[in-house]
Amino acid sequence: MLHLRPENLLVQKTLTEAWNASKAGSPLTLDRVISDFDYTTLHVSNSPDDKSILWLSIRTKAWQSVVKCGGDFAGYLKSKYNGFHAVSECSPEQGYDFTVQVKLDELDADAIVQLSLMKIHIMSYPFQLAFDEFARLSQLPEGSNASDTVHQIQYRDDENIFIKPSSDRITVIFETFFQDETDKVFGKVFLQEFVDARKRNRNIQSAPQVLFSHEPPLEAASLMAARSADKNRRFITFVLFPRHFQTPELQFSSVCHLSLFRNYFHYHIKCSKAYMHSRMRYRVDTFIKVLNRAKVDDEEEAGEQTTRRTITGRKLVY
Amino acid sequence: MSQSLRPYLTAVRFSLQAALNLTNFSSQVVERHNRPEVEVSNTSAELKLQPMHVSRNEHEQVLIEPSVNSVRVSIKVKQADEIEQILVHKFTRFLEQRAESFYVLRRVPIDGFSISFLITNKHTETMKTEKLVDFIIEFMEEVDKEISEMKLFLNARARFVAEAYLGEFVY
Amino acid sequence: MEDWRRIDIDAFDPDSGRLTAEDLKPPYASSVSLQELEPKISQLRSAATSGDFLNALQILTTDPPYSADETTKNQYFHAVLGVLTQVRQADITNLVKQLSPKQTDVLVKYLYKGMSVPEGQKQGGMLLSWFEKVTQLSGVGPVVRYLSDRNTV
Repeated sequence: MLHLRPENLLVQKTLTEAWNASKAGSPLTLDRVISDFDYTTLHVSNSPDDKSILWLSIRTKAWQSVVKCGGDFAGYLKSKYNGFHAVSECSPEQGYDFTVQVKLDELDADAIVQLSLMKIHIMSYPFQLAFDEFARLSQLPEGSNASDTVHQIQYRDDENIFIKPSSDRITVIFETFFQDETDKVFGKVFLQEFVDARKRNRNIQSAPQVLFSHEPPLEAASLMAARSADKNRRFITFVLFPRHFQTPELQFSSVCHLSLFRNYFHYHIKCSKAYMHSRMRYRVDTFIKVLNRAKVDDEEEAGEQTTRRTITGRKLVY
Repeated sequence: MSQSLRPYLTAVRFSLQAALNLTNFSSQVVERHNRPEVEVSNTSAELKLQPMHVSRNEHEQVLIEPSVNSVRVSIKVKQADEIEQILVHKFTRFLEQRAESFYVLRRVPIDGFSISFLITNKHTETMKTEKLVDFIIEFMEEVDKEISEMKLFLNARARFVAEAYLGEFVY
Repeated sequence: MEDWRRIDIDAFDPDSGRLTAEDLKPPYASSVSLQELEPKISQLRSAATSGDFLNALQILTTDPPYSADETTKNQYFHAVLGVLTQVRQADITNLVKQLSPKQTDVLVKYLYKGMSVPEGQKQGGMLLSWFEKVTQLSGVGPVVRYLSDRNTV
């Protein structure tokens, strides 16, 4: 499993189960809490009155900062589910940020996929704003098309994504922070490869440019100034060119990958560690084998002695 | 085997052969105690022999401290950069946590070294000395190899992962 | 006193009968001073620069300054290390062959000493090839004699 899927498989599975059960005439009783990356929690439950209606609620760390980006966020989120009759918005459940009501009778496979992408849809709003801003800026004449808009998504306690649209590109900056010493070193190796990969491999020349720095890049510096500098912070910058977001499909795919960047990256650090661990385990076994060769074989010596027998052929015991 | 590794390992082998000449020896200080004299500092200098340093360079060294009933062998593994440092640290710690199955492994390395072995007369009585020396030598060879392989693997994986990720943006 | 349980009270007792490394030094009639060694050091240097390594090796392996103090020994050792590291790899076997067993023992002492100090560790490869040649010719004997000899260089 090289890539992480943008949709939440557990949500997908739960909804499909509920859908099938409802079609079979025996609706499930559900009350399930599902976790996703970056402190995201989803809650699937029955509506108290009607078993054929499910509530799907989400709470995510990024919500606060996404709301702060301004614009019609609620409208944007609604538009994602407008096409589906089964899905309608309702007031957020206690302790959650956003809730939709799902009618199981009218549900279809597409709607399930869209519902399982809920977290991505929330994360994608600032990106959408940036795409729109880019479209506006690129229409303006040269010279007057600078903008100082920077959208910030605070998706973890200490980590942020900064998105800055300009007239010819969109810059996405990830701020990351390694708590573990080993992660830090491994992360450095990985990040270096992200930077070098595009230069080395001709096939991916058209991928976004990746930069890596210890200092906040200029685009994010204005937002960073308020906070104290920490030498454990790293900044990874992706420079998206228009070819990466020309059509809505491309926009969607770019956003999916970018919002999963941190997860992908950390996931592979963990994988490397796990591999090293299994390797070391194997190595320890071979070392023990070598060491055991040094042992004097007790069995052998004992064997020679126990072959001593009495005249009648019985074993001599002493 | 590289040109300078062979003399290094030969030197360690000869030094170990000379040092692994142990006998049972009860403590002179505490009655009914029998302890590895090399681990008991400040007492009975007469029971310790001259320590032997074998160094290939500043970063790769072996220190052999012999005494009448025990020998302490400490190895400093090459650590060229930050990654190797972490890998060596992880690897030696992993081994040390399994010290009971290694019999001769010391749980904590002595200062300035990556890993230490403590061979006592009990070990030389139940094991073939020659093979014990072989074990130490093989260990030294393998550790270097293992560390550099792990490092290569990490780089290769990072490269692959990065290319796969960025490859998703190619339309 | 942070950890009084770990205090080794016997160390303060003069009658404990405990021996320290100091007590084990062989009794020397007199201590060699740096001034007395100067001529030997310059002899070594000139022999090394003129390429007369056999002569230099003979000097350094005969009558080493066992009785000198640590700083003097280190001074002297610098000159020795200079000689040992200037010899060409190919010549080592020949030179070692011409040493008596006693001289070989002294040479091994210098090799171990060399590998224990940072200056010598930088030249580790060179010292190791000396060591290899010595063990090829005389086996493990000189190493065992090094172990048990309390006369240090």
